[in-house]
Amino acid sequence: MGKKELGLVLLILVIGAVTATINPRFISAVNLVNMANLIGLYGLFSIGEGLVIITGGIELSIGSMFALLGVVFLDLLVERGIPWPVALGAILLGGVALGAIHGFLITRMKLQPFVVTLCGLLIYRGAARYYTNDATMGFGYGNEGSGTLAWLTAGRSFGVPHTFIALLIVAAIMAVVLHKSVYGRYLYAVGKNEEAARFSGINADRVIAAAYMISGLLAGLSAVFIVFYTNSVSPSSHGNFYELYAIAAAVLGGCSLRGGEGSILGIVHGTILLQVQQNLVNLLGIPSSLNFAVMGTVILAGVLADRELQKRRMAAVANMGAKAARPAAAVAA
Amino acid sequence: MSESLLELRSITKTYPGVTALSDVSLSVARGEVVGLIGENGAGKSTLMKVLGGVVAPSSGRIVIDDVEHARLTVPDAMRAGIAFVHQELNLFENLDVAANVYIGREPLTGGPLRLVDTARMRALVAPLLARLGVDYRADTPVAALSIAQRQRVEIAKALSLDARVIIMDEPTSSLTITETNRLLEVIADLRAHGVAIIYISHRLDEIKICADRVVCLRDGRMVGALAREEIDHARMIRMMIGRDLKSLYLPPQRPAEPGGCDVEALRTIAFPDRQVALSVRRGEILGLAGLVGSGRSTLARTLFGIDPPLGGSITLGGEPIEVRSPRDAIARGIYLIPEDRKRSGLVLEMSITFNVTLPDLWRYARLGLVDAGAEQKTAEIQSRRLAVKTPNVQTPAISLSGGNQQKVVLAKWLAMRPRLIILDEPTRGIDVGAKGEIYALMRELADQGVAILMISSDMEEVIGVSDRIAVMHEGAISGFLERADFSEHNVLQLAIGQKLHAAAEA
Amino acid sequence: MKRFLVPVLAGALASVLLAGPVLAQQKKTLAFVTNAAADFWTIARRGTEKAAKELPDFEVKFLVPSESTPADQKRILDDLLAGGLAGVAISPVNPANSTEILNKVASQAVLFTTDSDAPQSNRVMYVGTDNVAAGVQAGELIKKALPNGGKIMLFVGTMDNANARERVEGIKKAIAGSKVEVIDVRTDNIDFVRAKSNVEDTLTKYPDIAGLVGLYSYNTPQIYEAVKAAGKAGKVKIIGFDEDQATLRGISDGTIEGTVVQQPFEFGYQSIRLMAKYIAGDKSFIPANKLMIVPTKIIDKSNVAEFQTMMKEMLRK
Repeated sequence: MGKKELGLVLLILVIGAVTATINPRFISAVNLVNMANLIGLYGLFSIGEGLVIITGGIELSIGSMFALLGVVFLDLLVERGIPWPVALGAILLGGVALGAIHGFLITRMKLQPFVVTLCGLLIYRGAARYYTNDATMGFGYGNEGSGTLAWLTAGRSFGVPHTFIALLIVAAIMAVVLHKSVYGRYLYAVGKNEEAARFSGINADRVIAAAYMISGLLAGLSAVFIVFYTNSVSPSSHGNFYELYAIAAAVLGGCSLRGGEGSILGIVHGTILLQVQQNLVNLLGIPSSLNFAVMGTVILAGVLADRELQKRRMAAVANMGAKAARPAAAVAA
Repeated sequence: MSESLLELRSITKTYPGVTALSDVSLSVARGEVVGLIGENGAGKSTLMKVLGGVVAPSSGRIVIDDVEHARLTVPDAMRAGIAFVHQELNLFENLDVAANVYIGREPLTGGPLRLVDTARMRALVAPLLARLGVDYRADTPVAALSIAQRQRVEIAKALSLDARVIIMDEPTSSLTITETNRLLEVIADLRAHGVAIIYISHRLDEIKICADRVVCLRDGRMVGALAREEIDHARMIRMMIGRDLKSLYLPPQRPAEPGGCDVEALRTIAFPDRQVALSVRRGEILGLAGLVGSGRSTLARTLFGIDPPLGGSITLGGEPIEVRSPRDAIARGIYLIPEDRKRSGLVLEMSITFNVTLPDLWRYARLGLVDAGAEQKTAEIQSRRLAVKTPNVQTPAISLSGGNQQKVVLAKWLAMRPRLIILDEPTRGIDVGAKGEIYALMRELADQGVAILMISSDMEEVIGVSDRIAVMHEGAISGFLERADFSEHNVLQLAIGQKLHAAAEA
Repeated sequence: MKRFLVPVLAGALASVLLAGPVLAQQKKTLAFVTNAAADFWTIARRGTEKAAKELPDFEVKFLVPSESTPADQKRILDDLLAGGLAGVAISPVNPANSTEILNKVASQAVLFTTDSDAPQSNRVMYVGTDNVAAGVQAGELIKKALPNGGKIMLFVGTMDNANARERVEGIKKAIAGSKVEVIDVRTDNIDFVRAKSNVEDTLTKYPDIAGLVGLYSYNTPQIYEAVKAAGKAGKVKIIGFDEDQATLRGISDGTIEGTVVQQPFEFGYQSIRLMAKYIAGDKSFIPANKLMIVPTKIIDKSNVAEFQTMMKEMLRK
């Protein structure tokens, strides 16, 4: 697994070194903390997206979930004055519930993931806008996210933003789940070859549905973090395109849209690369209008680098296979 | 014999660390059928890729029409009239027969619009189909054709290219007996028209029938050739493996006992109005013969919980059971080695270890986390027991040969507690050596008291390996044969739905 | 065939349902079309609601495009025309390239522009802010906050919209000749996370930055949050536009120098009221230049408390 992420790490280091040479402030403590914060923010939901992609599916509704869960969360917390642990729990459950609906439609109704989550993208966005009558929601004239939850989500410990710490914790847990657990193994098996997995007695439907539920859970968690980062939610634009950033991070990190491939470390690296790119656009004074073009170029470069490494790996495997076949023939003769 | 159409001179192909072909020479004359035999990994595929222009030889010469080439390109090969009929057919199911034949070189109309002239294309294909004596038309969608029919589409395609040499790679591996015979007739006809054929097969019977000459590859070398009158089984097998193959049948160590799997009045989705009744006893290998499409695979899928049963009962060890999913089946010790091992049997990209432990992963897990050491140990034990040829168990299944892949599928189930093992075409596309090992393993399992149901279209296998044979015809069992009654003739009679005694009278 | 029939039938059914009440009541329809979804427009909506109460003979619609694009606005206008329309006030996303559809509307109904003008179209008149003038006001605030000059950075959602460009133009006009220098305009595509990180990165890249200006209503609060988090509150001067709650809070606590606010309530109220008047035949109120400028106001520490109270009341209703 290590080799696969190596290309990405190299790319990050090269881009980082070039940026730091042009503008040394790139590696200043302030900038690193700011980047860590954003990496945490984007990494959380990218991991969820990655799991779904490993099943061979796709989750397009993450950005709209942020808008819907975000406005509901602010409504519960600010307008209705519900205690934060309850509001937080409700949002996480809400995310899981939306994921469960997707899972149900995909595995039981046999609809394509793209279609199901595209409908989700439209429905949740519309629902969020209707919910607030298109108004931007915030913490009101009163004090904004002061208190425990604000500290937990937007605060820092030892100078490290809590979003980043949350990402480290979630990534560690998900890495164990994906790479060490029975469920993780099933996920790869289903993603690579659903039929063979079924023939091995795996309940593929349940495995797939669970991936969407985990993605929903992480989307709910991210929704709360993002609310505390922006302090307000404009339902028409909040989280627009975020599913695409997540897909980009996952693909950069080695997830194949055909399923069955990818690692948590890779997805985190993909997120880092994307955020470094966003940061360097500002730090190098590249016009904002070029931002997306730069992002596209970086993704393309990352995927091409990965492809080259992949080719070498495949050649190595083929070699190994050929060597394995040789003694076999010798034994038979 | 007329002068050679195609000649390979001292072809060598090396890959880093491996010599795939070493000093191979072969010439093919007009209207000649050359049987090419050799175990998997002997270099047959590489040789064919050299001919097709896909692989460039490291040294040697290819002579076509007295012109020497150091290598061929794909267009070179096509221009020279070299065509392939592949083991895995390369057809577009969503298009019709004519479109498949002319794919990539469609006759055009409409000038600059470059529209496909469908009518002309069909008119061009129709005579080719007539020549092959097929029972479908140029506008039949390929999706509606059987494997044998599709194969003839490939042959039609070769003819439309004015092929002078047609290379057939395991053309009968998915065909029934009658379909195979029909193909052999087509080959005879092609030969009569001056087309040369290189016929690659593990089915020595067929080679014996159709080949004018047999050449054998072993470890990348040409190890021998047999003239028409010299071709027989024993010689061919000796050339391939360098030793004689023992008789296929391994007698059981102890008699079969009741209490295996009993199926009563089972109705399947393939034949909803027919009923299947059969019992596989503990310790016996029951061969299940029949034509392709007779409902054998559906029966296997139903027993394994993939297809839902429409009625009837299944009893395992005297206890009636219901199988709603493969999970249910596996929990009860009913295991299936599926027909299509690459699609259903293995997750090819995963390692041997991961494949072996996949059905029973919870056994290697604590608190939901997989104990990598324990599963590797099991994989190593099974891999040694089955003599899987691999450097280690971390090797991805995709890099193994067909026979070794099949052993990994078997290892999945052997690591568990089998009671009924269903093998669907267990040795299709597998070389002779590995076949023998798989048969020995089946016997070993049977001797341990496992009931074994072996579906096979390979007559040699059904007759050689089974303790008893059940024959299926149109969704029902048309008869059982005890060893004393085993014969190709009897199996065939039952497979086409005729009663045995009636046939004897006639 | 069946496949195509279902959506057609559903569409037909929907249009019957939507058209039903309009036909039944026989009221004339006046519409107000915004350029995006924002609090700003919620206040304008209050204005249209007030006007609607005064005009019982009119059905007043308030429409918000799903996307802030000319295409989406065109769709809304086409739908309105199809449903029968007496008058519409619109804030065109891209006035320069919307002349055709605007003139089509003007040929069938009374057309007002609001918030953002389209002078080359056949609109009857414009009700709204002079964004260049508003930019000049903000520029004056900047000059006052930075008497010794310095580098400033501007932040905005997108430069597609004319109002953003006009505000920039006004600011540049006002600071011309002073020692204040605009480094760049950073855009964020109305992504709040991006809006905030743009500010963070600017603070990193230019440690000597003197002032930050938020051109859209949400930009100023994001500047406010980022500056506070960086511990630079008070050291970097913040000037904004519009009346986001956090902006007003920042003015109260002295972190933000001031903001230039429009009076969207008046946009909504005056547009609807004057369209009704125009339909009734009274054209006397139209000024010679066809511009009815609703002046912008500067809110700073001196009047922020009073303004907050007024806003609370406006949004509470």
